[in-house]
Amino acid sequence: MNDVLAGRALAKRFGQTVALNGVDITIQAGEAVAIMGPSGSGKSTLLHCLAGIMKPDAGEVHLLGQRIDTMKERDRSALRRTRFGFVFQFGQLLPELPAEENVALPLMLGNVSRSDAVRQARQWFGPLGLGGMEGRRPGELSGGQAQRVAIARALVTKPAVVFADEPTGALDQNTGHDTMRLLVEATKHNGASLIVVTHDPGVAGWCGRTVEVRDGNLLHSAVSQ
Amino acid sequence: MSLTWRLLRGGGRRGMLGTWLTLGAVVISTGLLLFAVSANFAFQGRAERGAWRNPVQTTGKATAVEATRDDYVQDKKITVVDLAALDPKADVPPGLPRFPAPGETWLSPALAELARRLPADQLADRYEDVKGVLGDSALVHPGELVAVVGHRADDPAMTGTRGEPGRGGVPPTKVETLAGTPTEDAQAYRVLALIASVLMVVPLLVFGGAAARLTVARRDQRLAALRLVGASPGQVVAMTVAEAVIVAFAGAVLGTVLYGAAVPLLTAIRIGGGPWFAGDLLPNPLLAAGVLLAVPLLVGVSAIVGLRRVVVSPLGVAKRETPPAMRFVRVLALLAVLAVVPMLSTSASVGVVAVVLGLAFLCINLVGPWVVGLIGRVTAKRARRPAKLLAGRRLVDDPRSAWRTVSGVALTGFVAGFLGLLSPGDALAGHVADGRLMLAVPQAKVAVVADQARERLEKAGVKATVKKEKGLVIASVGEADVDKARTALDGVVPGHSATSEADEQRFTSQLLDDIATGTVVVLSVSFLVAIASSGITSASSVLDRRQTYALLRLAGTPLEVLDKARRSETLIPLTVMGGGAIAVGVFCASPFMLASPNVSGAITLAVCVTAGFAGVIGAGALSRPLLRSVTDDPAPRPD
Repeated sequence: MNDVLAGRALAKRFGQTVALNGVDITIQAGEAVAIMGPSGSGKSTLLHCLAGIMKPDAGEVHLLGQRIDTMKERDRSALRRTRFGFVFQFGQLLPELPAEENVALPLMLGNVSRSDAVRQARQWFGPLGLGGMEGRRPGELSGGQAQRVAIARALVTKPAVVFADEPTGALDQNTGHDTMRLLVEATKHNGASLIVVTHDPGVAGWCGRTVEVRDGNLLHSAVSQ
Repeated sequence: MSLTWRLLRGGGRRGMLGTWLTLGAVVISTGLLLFAVSANFAFQGRAERGAWRNPVQTTGKATAVEATRDDYVQDKKITVVDLAALDPKADVPPGLPRFPAPGETWLSPALAELARRLPADQLADRYEDVKGVLGDSALVHPGELVAVVGHRADDPAMTGTRGEPGRGGVPPTKVETLAGTPTEDAQAYRVLALIASVLMVVPLLVFGGAAARLTVARRDQRLAALRLVGASPGQVVAMTVAEAVIVAFAGAVLGTVLYGAAVPLLTAIRIGGGPWFAGDLLPNPLLAAGVLLAVPLLVGVSAIVGLRRVVVSPLGVAKRETPPAMRFVRVLALLAVLAVVPMLSTSASVGVVAVVLGLAFLCINLVGPWVVGLIGRVTAKRARRPAKLLAGRRLVDDPRSAWRTVSGVALTGFVAGFLGLLSPGDALAGHVADGRLMLAVPQAKVAVVADQARERLEKAGVKATVKKEKGLVIASVGEADVDKARTALDGVVPGHSATSEADEQRFTSQLLDDIATGTVVVLSVSFLVAIASSGITSASSVLDRRQTYALLRLAGTPLEVLDKARRSETLIPLTVMGGGAIAVGVFCASPFMLASPNVSGAITLAVCVTAGFAGVIGAGALSRPLLRSVTDDPAPRPD
């Protein structure tokens, strides 16, 4: 198989609390994986370690065969900017920027000119049902619209992996359903892998595979119908 | 109140940091406010203490005759007060145990010390029967050289004309009491002190207000949440105001204590010919109580203003909608005030000048956010790199907060621009005795006085050439013999001292020196406020936007980009507003120019601009470790 991201024997402690206890996980190209578990189980810590946001105390993380957990913060930061995309539960959009500039920002950080970045960003608005909202600020968007802008921002750099942490946690059931559908379809359409952290089986149902984390251990892996 | 106290204490480490920042801002504001206000009382105290030496002619029954003249030693002025009683019940002069009897002299402590130190033929021989030392209540400032000499009422010194009554003295005047009236010079200093106070107090009030809103900025999310769960607007306002007022009161008390501790240092500032009595600069209990009341009140009111949006619409803060656009009327207000400036002249009443100056100051403060918003729109539109784009959008998003960061320096720019033009020209400064001593004499006595002068100088061993001119006897002596010659000529014309041309210029020279000193004091205060203000606001802006910064780092934004955006956010408006404020200051000062713009004024301005920019950049850089710490854990969390 074609492994994109792999975590091996990942361990992480916060004081006396064990957040990860030797977790092994592999994500394949184009695969959508849900990480489930109750609050405090270690699922967000696993996501942060895989995304290079946090360094594990032990174990290794590999992206396309390259070890990333030993990289310097500056390099991991560049990696997050170019190879990963992020969708969170709330607040990931910069409140002072209009929607199109929120989407264009990762491209501009990668030295794409502003006009090109905005032009590329605008291409995402129609397919995600956001036509006409390019100039609105996050405070002027509904929760579902804001999440779709966040999805556009996560995908605009054509990342290898998109990380989503409770992406529908702040949305009602119908909006959450639509948002997950768009997230999964858009990620697949771009050839990226998707890792979703959730405690909602409905959200996990959108992913091809579900893994469950309890007390820092990976319990089992199941293929969704 | 108990909930407020718990909110204050339970704000976490970052919440408490905000509280400390506010406290620090209020401490600095209060200390400097006390200085600005006390300076006026100090000049008033000097004016009142010196009033007895400026006699008021009586229309009723006279009890004494009083005259004053200026004498000099070692290029320093001695104020000689000649007194003669007409009535045994004549007022006892301040600082003396009794009315001086004819022939008796009392010297101020500094003059007595000087008389002991110098050879007698240079100073002590001018005074016959020294009876004692004057108390502080007779003196305008410590170290002042004063001699009080008693005469008979029919002594020529108390009856005859004193020749040209120049700046240095008052001719014999019959008085009923020795209360007198403050001199015009003392009043002029009070006016200058008032202008200096206006220049210092406005930035302080702006700074104090910014500090108050700093508390609110940190709490607004939480307070909006309280509104969302049903707290009434009144409860929200009460809680916030209570919190701001608790912090402000503590800051005001500390600021007062700090100012009290700094008074011994401040007394060393030499203005008006000498330093200060500590009692002049110490705030009286009423003033201290007023400040302790006014500062928390001001902070409370600013807190209410800052909270208005939360109270009106709880979602206003929570949802971060586009803020309402600034109105152009702000600019019209400034233009209206500036239109009045050309109508002013040096003869305009002080009250009017102070009001126009204050209004111009306040209008700059009103226009500031509007201009910052405009700069933000231009910057955002033209930005090619992320840092500039973020900076521009931030300026558009919250121009008031960006203005708070630069307002101190911009307002100081106004002060620097205003005072830069008022600085004395180099040509007017520096006069030393040139060895030509003049005695003003009634024309009929010129020949007699010239002979007496020649004889006295010869007897004192001073080589001199004595010439007669119309109404003047001029003795030219070597520069080393000036004090000896002054002593020898003392009393040759009753009630008149020999003076040089340089002596006549001494007051002008001192006034210009004092304006220069005052400029430095005002600018030092303004810069202290400006730099403290930008340091505190930039730290608070990092705290307020920690979630934004954390998210940007999470998306892979290097810390340098964030830092650059922060710097641009300050420097772009600073450049525009600082330059604009200096121009407005120069414009406001133009009607009152004492001399054409000069090198020292230009240097003062250049130093101000450089120091201001360096200070703001430095103060902003101090919050970089804070930025690093708040973005160290980039995982977003709700606050």
